[in-house]
Amino acid sequence: MLLLKFGVFVSFGFSLFLLTYLVLHTFSFGKRQLHSKAEATRWKGVAYAFSLGMMPWEKESAAKHLPTYVAGIFYHIGIFAAIFYVLFTAASLSLSEAILSPFRVLLAVGFICGTGLLLKRAIKRQMRYISCPDDFVANILVDLFILSGFLFSLLSAVIPVFYILAILIFLYMPLGKIRHCFFFFYSRILFGSYFGRRRVLPHSQTSKS
Amino acid sequence: MKTLLSSSDPIEKKIQALTDDDLKKILNVFRQKLRFNDAAYLNSCVHCGLCADSCHFYLASGDPQAMPAAKLDLVNRIFKRYFSFSGKYFPKLTGSLSLSRELVREWVDSLFGRCTLCGRCSLSCTMGINIFALIRAARSALAAAGLVPPGLQQTVDTALQTGNNMGISKENWLETVEWLEEELQKEVGDSRARLPIDRKGARFLYTINPREAMYFPLSISAAAKIFYAAEEDWTFSSTNFDVTNYGLYSGDDEGAGIMSGRLIQAMEELGCSVLVLAECGHGFNSNRWEAPEWLRRKYDFKVRSIIQVVADYIREGRIRLNAGLNPKLHTLHDPCNLVRLGGIIEEQRYILKQSVQRFVEMQPNREKNYCCGGGGGQLAMTNFAKRRIEAGRIKADQIRATGAEVVATPCHNCIDQIMELNKHYKLSIEIRTICEIVAGALVIERRQSGQSTPGGAGIK
Repeated sequence: MLLLKFGVFVSFGFSLFLLTYLVLHTFSFGKRQLHSKAEATRWKGVAYAFSLGMMPWEKESAAKHLPTYVAGIFYHIGIFAAIFYVLFTAASLSLSEAILSPFRVLLAVGFICGTGLLLKRAIKRQMRYISCPDDFVANILVDLFILSGFLFSLLSAVIPVFYILAILIFLYMPLGKIRHCFFFFYSRILFGSYFGRRRVLPHSQTSKS
Repeated sequence: MKTLLSSSDPIEKKIQALTDDDLKKILNVFRQKLRFNDAAYLNSCVHCGLCADSCHFYLASGDPQAMPAAKLDLVNRIFKRYFSFSGKYFPKLTGSLSLSRELVREWVDSLFGRCTLCGRCSLSCTMGINIFALIRAARSALAAAGLVPPGLQQTVDTALQTGNNMGISKENWLETVEWLEEELQKEVGDSRARLPIDRKGARFLYTINPREAMYFPLSISAAAKIFYAAEEDWTFSSTNFDVTNYGLYSGDDEGAGIMSGRLIQAMEELGCSVLVLAECGHGFNSNRWEAPEWLRRKYDFKVRSIIQVVADYIREGRIRLNAGLNPKLHTLHDPCNLVRLGGIIEEQRYILKQSVQRFVEMQPNREKNYCCGGGGGQLAMTNFAKRRIEAGRIKADQIRATGAEVVATPCHNCIDQIMELNKHYKLSIEIRTICEIVAGALVIERRQSGQSTPGGAGIK
């Protein structure tokens, strides 16, 4: 068990290291010096990208696919809850029942939402068309990880499975699409910056007649 | 893969003839075009598919190949294969692919033929990926291998060889200006009204879309009439007058730099202080935002759209309008390059509300407006005309839903496309530029002989 606990932290550290490397590696592609004069500060755009720009009333894709949007949010909450839970447990710390109860709910809802998104990917023709094996592997691994966390909260015997899945996920993170856990923030900053300096976003009159 | 490229298509023949060295060249240019932000974007796509409904090509056809994620994936498969560890060593897992003739064919068919580079998908992207910028980087790589669809390439070549995309000679341009000047003088009843050419030290250098000179001279007259009414100090260039830049669409940065550089040259030679761009969406994006990057230089003069200028005239009381002269119900189509990618969002609304009696917005509008389908060089690429008209159905439906009799749009590409949509989808609408509408509502008082105006103002 000690080895597994050690493995959780080593793989977590390995993942953080490689993800940081991947982000820094993008700079090997060279900077883009901008010469055109900005119309507005880019930081307003960045702030928008992480706030209003993600809300269903501003973002058409979220509004049109509200169930997927909501499922995505709860799925990610479940993932972060599971990661927190596994690190906390591997550090030999225990959660009180008052904290564990809401955690169980988050994990259960996260698992259901993740499975729903997996089914959507498998069933819908359009989703299958844009999917590669990595999309399925990542989703299945993460779903099992959240499920094992949920089961462990009820049954301590599940702990080795919870640790092994955590190690697998941490090792897989930099290799597959789960790397977006880092790149999401990077991309949103770039998005906000691009539209912010052009004074396109934020835009107070959005879609009003 | 469904493609519109037939075996007799010249570009298909070029694809068949590609050597391994050509493929390497495409790859090298693609790599050279990428910067840190592109690499970040290409690491970010999670294939959530939420971008699909933002694309008019997908909405109109339901074809998964038209999903922005699918188009981005064509680019990303190559990025992963050559520039990522996992894509290089686990190609089946990550879906990475080696560059092949088949993939080049898909690039040409989808990245040129199923995309207008309108940027709408970026607003819908969960991650915020600038999909259009990555598609353009891939177009650049294709351009380096001579794989730009013939119609689009011809437009670029004509502009590079003759100085404007319609191949208008200097003599013809000067004759057109002279004729339009006579018409303006008759219309305003003032023999001193001018369309100045090469006037050194004028405040504005005004550019046009060469299609205006060839097919839509009323657009030029309208702008000239507004300048006259505002008593503006402005000029045309006798040689460098083309606001368009199809290098934006073909991906040819070098050629694009040459085209935009000509306007800079005219600005410097004439000593003007503001470069005023005619109603042209991609011309605005090119010359306001992209050209300084193509040319790697900062401008020491302002670059403004005629839309901004006219809005200022109204606010400052330099022109007077009678909205009653435009009684029909008007709606507004927002050109993607001017609005979503250009940041000119409210000015055209302000102008229309002052110059027409009845105005109704399309839904959605502003930066969320749908592309008409004519951008991205689509109008020049006859190979993909069928898809262009099909994709335009989304815009046609938007227009019909407004019940408007007139569609205003500050872009000649959009006008051409909407004119075709008008015919194909039987919309029974008029399509006009903003300046044409403003010119129709202008109230001009006859000027007395000898009456002077600040700055010369189009009167010699």
